[in-house]
Amino acid sequence: MELITNLLAGLWESSGFALLTWQNLVMIGVAIVFLILAIVKKFEPLLLVPIAFGILLANLPGSGVMDDVTLSQAFGGDGSLAGTGSWYESGVLRILYAGVKSSIFPCLIFLGVGAMTDFGPLLSNPISLLLGAAAQLGIYVAFIIAILLGFTPQEAAAISIIGGADGPTAIWLTGKLASHLLAPIALAAYSYMALIPLIQPPIMKLLTTKKEREVKMTQLRKVSKTEKIVFPVVVLVLIALILPSVVPLLGMLMLGNLFRECGVVERLSDTAQNAMNNIVVILLGVTVGATANGESFLKVQTLGIVALGLTAFAFSTVGGVLLGKLLYVVTKGKINPLIGAAGVSAVPMAARVAQNEGRKYNPTNFLLMHAMGPNVAGVIGSAVAAGFLLLMFSN
Amino acid sequence: MKITPQLLGIFTNIYGSYEAMTISRALMIALVGFMTVLVILAIIALFIKLIAFIFSAIEKKNEKKIETIITPVEHSNATAPSVGVTLPETESQGELELIGVDEPTAAMLMALVSYKTEIPLNRLAFRSIKLVEDE
Repeated sequence: MELITNLLAGLWESSGFALLTWQNLVMIGVAIVFLILAIVKKFEPLLLVPIAFGILLANLPGSGVMDDVTLSQAFGGDGSLAGTGSWYESGVLRILYAGVKSSIFPCLIFLGVGAMTDFGPLLSNPISLLLGAAAQLGIYVAFIIAILLGFTPQEAAAISIIGGADGPTAIWLTGKLASHLLAPIALAAYSYMALIPLIQPPIMKLLTTKKEREVKMTQLRKVSKTEKIVFPVVVLVLIALILPSVVPLLGMLMLGNLFRECGVVERLSDTAQNAMNNIVVILLGVTVGATANGESFLKVQTLGIVALGLTAFAFSTVGGVLLGKLLYVVTKGKINPLIGAAGVSAVPMAARVAQNEGRKYNPTNFLLMHAMGPNVAGVIGSAVAAGFLLLMFSN
Repeated sequence: MKITPQLLGIFTNIYGSYEAMTISRALMIALVGFMTVLVILAIIALFIKLIAFIFSAIEKKNEKKIETIITPVEHSNATAPSVGVTLPETESQGELELIGVDEPTAAMLMALVSYKTEIPLNRLAFRSIKLVEDE
């Protein structure tokens, strides 16, 4: 009888129920909310589903998916058991997480993004680049506020990059400057990217007049194939010479774009756009989500990061729209300021928001291609901003 | 081996500790950072303009060459294409006489000529397309 009691007690103690903490329960709830947002509301499902499932896996007590046996300390960074051992004895997601910590995943995502991006609208209207630059304003506003709130310069830089609205860039910079904040920053960045249709329109409406929102832009010029091929090479060399720290990200972006445009490596372009990108999105999403362990995630600091991320996003939108208004005046009403909001990278959601807002006020308006210019410029702009911050604050 | 020495961590190298980040320094860094992004992207914009200018100049030069080659054919009143005034992409020039050729075949032939000569359809003028029977 005693044996049965002991066995049952042992089974209970080793079960997930006995190990479950309130933090785990909260995070499981967060994972379920994210899954609902992704599946029912279709908010960035390609990213949100793997991230949410990663959160779920990391908060199932005793699963050991994020255990790190290579650390010579009692507990791993996420509160899981740790000790000394070979790397391959670690949890499966911990091993895969090496791709995030080493920056391999963000760089590979950029390769896929480059292969999917048509820089045509940007090339036909180079002024878009200024809108893409202005829409990085939120990064620097959030940086100042984060410093005021007592974050270290490295932490402030990592948090502020959320304003670039670029998930891989945020992960890349955070992994290098403040890897302990990776989970809240990645989650905030991707969540706000998914919520762009809710965040941006009120700001766009607040800062523009009805007349400005109704502006119809003229047709873009046709860009030659040669221009599209020359662009990635020239821009990469140019930026690399000015800001070498940005090469890992922009180098991969431009390589992917060259695959797309050169027309002689269709198979590579196809792989970068589809198979490879999808595989990396799965691995990146799940492992980033898995860093959101309840014990390490549910802190007051996380709430601060989430609030700062929203501030950064809002100010980036403000920056883009304000420059759009300036260009509206300078060009005597030829530029619709709404496309400035698309300067936050988040391709192509931000451009779609500009298109939808424009059509609300002028149903015959078609702003999508005009908004794609600042949108892809935002990808370059946020990568440059990340390179600058890394240059300043790398340890 | 240390990769990219002295390139990274300018602020950290100069000021060292976290406490060195005062609000005035944060403001300065934010300002310099924002200006850096603006300037770099403005330089890229200028480069794009320059590239576009160079390529349009080259294209114009090539077009002139093509025009000289095609013009004699146009004068010979043959069925070959001729270069005329550029029309909007949705419009074409004049009327086309089809002799023994159905419209889909004619459309395919016009597309082929456009592709082979690398002249957009809206810059080509077809006068007639005639079926020539083998004897």
